Amino acid sequence: MRILTRRSALLSGMGGLLGPQARPSIKADTRASGVTDSSIVLGVSSAFSGPSRGLGIELYRGAMSYFQHVNQTGGIAGREVVLKCYDDGYQPTLSVQNTMRLVLEDQVFALFGYVGTPTVTRVLPVLKKFQDRQAFLFFPFTGAQPQREPPYDEFAFNLRASYRQETAGLVDNLVAIGKNRIAVFYQADAYGRSGWAGARRAMMQHGKRIVGEATYRRGTQFTSSMRAQVEILKKQNPDAVICVGSYAACAAFLRDAVDLGLRVPLANLSFVGSENLLKLISEGNEHSERYSGLLVNSQVVPSYEDLSMPTVREYRRLMAIYAPEPPPELLKEDYTPFRQSFGSLEGFLNAKLMVEILRRAGKDLDRTNLESTVLSIKNFDMGIGERVSFGPDRRQGLQGIYYTVVEAGRFVPLESWEDRFLT
Amino acid sequence: MKVQKLFQKTLFGVFLLFLVISLSTSGLCIYTVDTYLSEEYETNSRAIAKAVADASVDILLNRDLSALQSLIDQFIEIQGIGYIYIKDEYGEFLAHTFVPGIPDEIGQIASSPDEAIERHIPGFGDFFEVSSPILDGVAGSVHIGMNSSLIALKVQRAVGQQVYLISSIFILGVLCAVWLVNLAAKPLGSLIDYAAALARDRDSSTPDHNLLRRPDEVGQLANLFLYFSKVMDPRKAIGAPPVEPA
Repeated sequence: MRILTRRSALLSGMGGLLGPQARPSIKADTRASGVTDSSIVLGVSSAFSGPSRGLGIELYRGAMSYFQHVNQTGGIAGREVVLKCYDDGYQPTLSVQNTMRLVLEDQVFALFGYVGTPTVTRVLPVLKKFQDRQAFLFFPFTGAQPQREPPYDEFAFNLRASYRQETAGLVDNLVAIGKNRIAVFYQADAYGRSGWAGARRAMMQHGKRIVGEATYRRGTQFTSSMRAQVEILKKQNPDAVICVGSYAACAAFLRDAVDLGLRVPLANLSFVGSENLLKLISEGNEHSERYSGLLVNSQVVPSYEDLSMPTVREYRRLMAIYAPEPPPELLKEDYTPFRQSFGSLEGFLNAKLMVEILRRAGKDLDRTNLESTVLSIKNFDMGIGERVSFGPDRRQGLQGIYYTVVEAGRFVPLESWEDRFLT
Repeated sequence: MKVQKLFQKTLFGVFLLFLVISLSTSGLCIYTVDTYLSEEYETNSRAIAKAVADASVDILLNRDLSALQSLIDQFIEIQGIGYIYIKDEYGEFLAHTFVPGIPDEIGQIASSPDEAIERHIPGFGDFFEVSSPILDGVAGSVHIGMNSSLIALKVQRAVGQQVYLISSIFILGVLCAVWLVNLAAKPLGSLIDYAAALARDRDSSTPDHNLLRRPDEVGQLANLFLYFSKVMDPRKAIGAPPVEPA
């Protein structure tokens, strides 16, 4: 990764947002807060490389489409929003290093759009260490509990619903259709444990226990075999499997599960990256519906096919106009972006709310009043049929969970669990 | 030839000596390194287990299990730790580092805080496991498996280094022995030739032969041979014995 100095990073456009004509004039006194007369710098450490790069790239693209729109229509009180991006490859150690660089060296105004539980979980103590700098983390792409609970909840603001809510919804619906023997396939780290804990908690509410579990290592590729994991779970004869992983590993598990005869509903959490999962399963596979027919993925944003929602229409329009590319200096491997995806829609919503917060903070942007500005948001209409509110005991904006299945090669809302999995 | 036999015996003696040294020091090295490393590993792993157990109390009581997993994921990066798992007071696994799943062997028997146990887990390796109670056991326990093969590897490495050193010294010793034996063998050979010539009564028995001027034992022996040849031959003049008795 190219190491940027504060000056070179700012002048080089940081994330490809600023054109040559829009470079900010930097003043030493204001740069310290990540705000100049012409820009507001937000720091991003995300997965732009590795097997989970699709998550970071799609989230970034969605956010950039909205920020570019705002910047081209006058910015926020005349300032453009700039993303200062570093790649952590979904690795906790790199994420911590990037965060310290963003906070101490780059001195960004706030941290935005991080990806992953193992990364964010390790970053939270850094934010506590430097709490005097009030570097808040906005809208990480993780539904884990650590940034939603003391002692770290005061350093982060979440938009999406939690994994606890997602797993509870999946368990409730599966149990409701008689799928009582639920196993969990999960990533062997904090993310996987968060989903496992959510499923366990939800099962206990029904007086049941998880019947089996199998794990995989973070960074596992689609080409890896998941035969051992499938064999472990098959011994427990599950009715359904909740998968808590990223798309490459979950696609490999789906492939091997079906091939080895484990034909039960396979539920994935929103973090999985649904479109990338489906792409891996479908590419070069004429009978992909044999695999994708078992999928039921929970989402924390509505379907990007639902044109009844004004923000979905706006998202589709701005994505078509700007079609943002991932930061070229961070892109180490080929990646073909999706026109629309749940990940980019989430990024878009994150950016939309971030802009609203920055607008409310006023012209004299200051970190010291940032928290009170966020907490002042009550019943803000996001244009997706759900209003956002924050408060001292409410650090998560959205609560909605949506369930999707694959029809005709794309994810669509699930109409009926019974019809889908009992007939 | 007598000299060659002497050389062979010397070389054999050197080899035997080094073999004894090599075997005894390697055995001692294996015992020392294995004992030392095992004790140190056990001490360290108990300390780590206690540290995890102490840190787990607050997490178990107040926070999500993902924080607990994040904690043990940081400890698993320490060299030598093969696995970590945390059970609650009812024996349910709350967090662990096993992939692709919890081995059956782990569920069958668990280590107690007082005693380490040795495990062979197919597909994983050999471990010895220590544990530490969380909140005196009422909140569960932390178990850490230390990789035994790492100790074996370190022992092998230590013994290998020692054998390498002794082998080097052995080769050097053999070369030195050959050189020294040759140094002694050359005048001895000349002495044998001289003695044989005396026996045949040839010109080499003349008093100005080079060997007779040597100040060492070979020179003394040459003079003795010359003396005895004269004693035994009445045609030659007899002088004083060349060597005074001790």
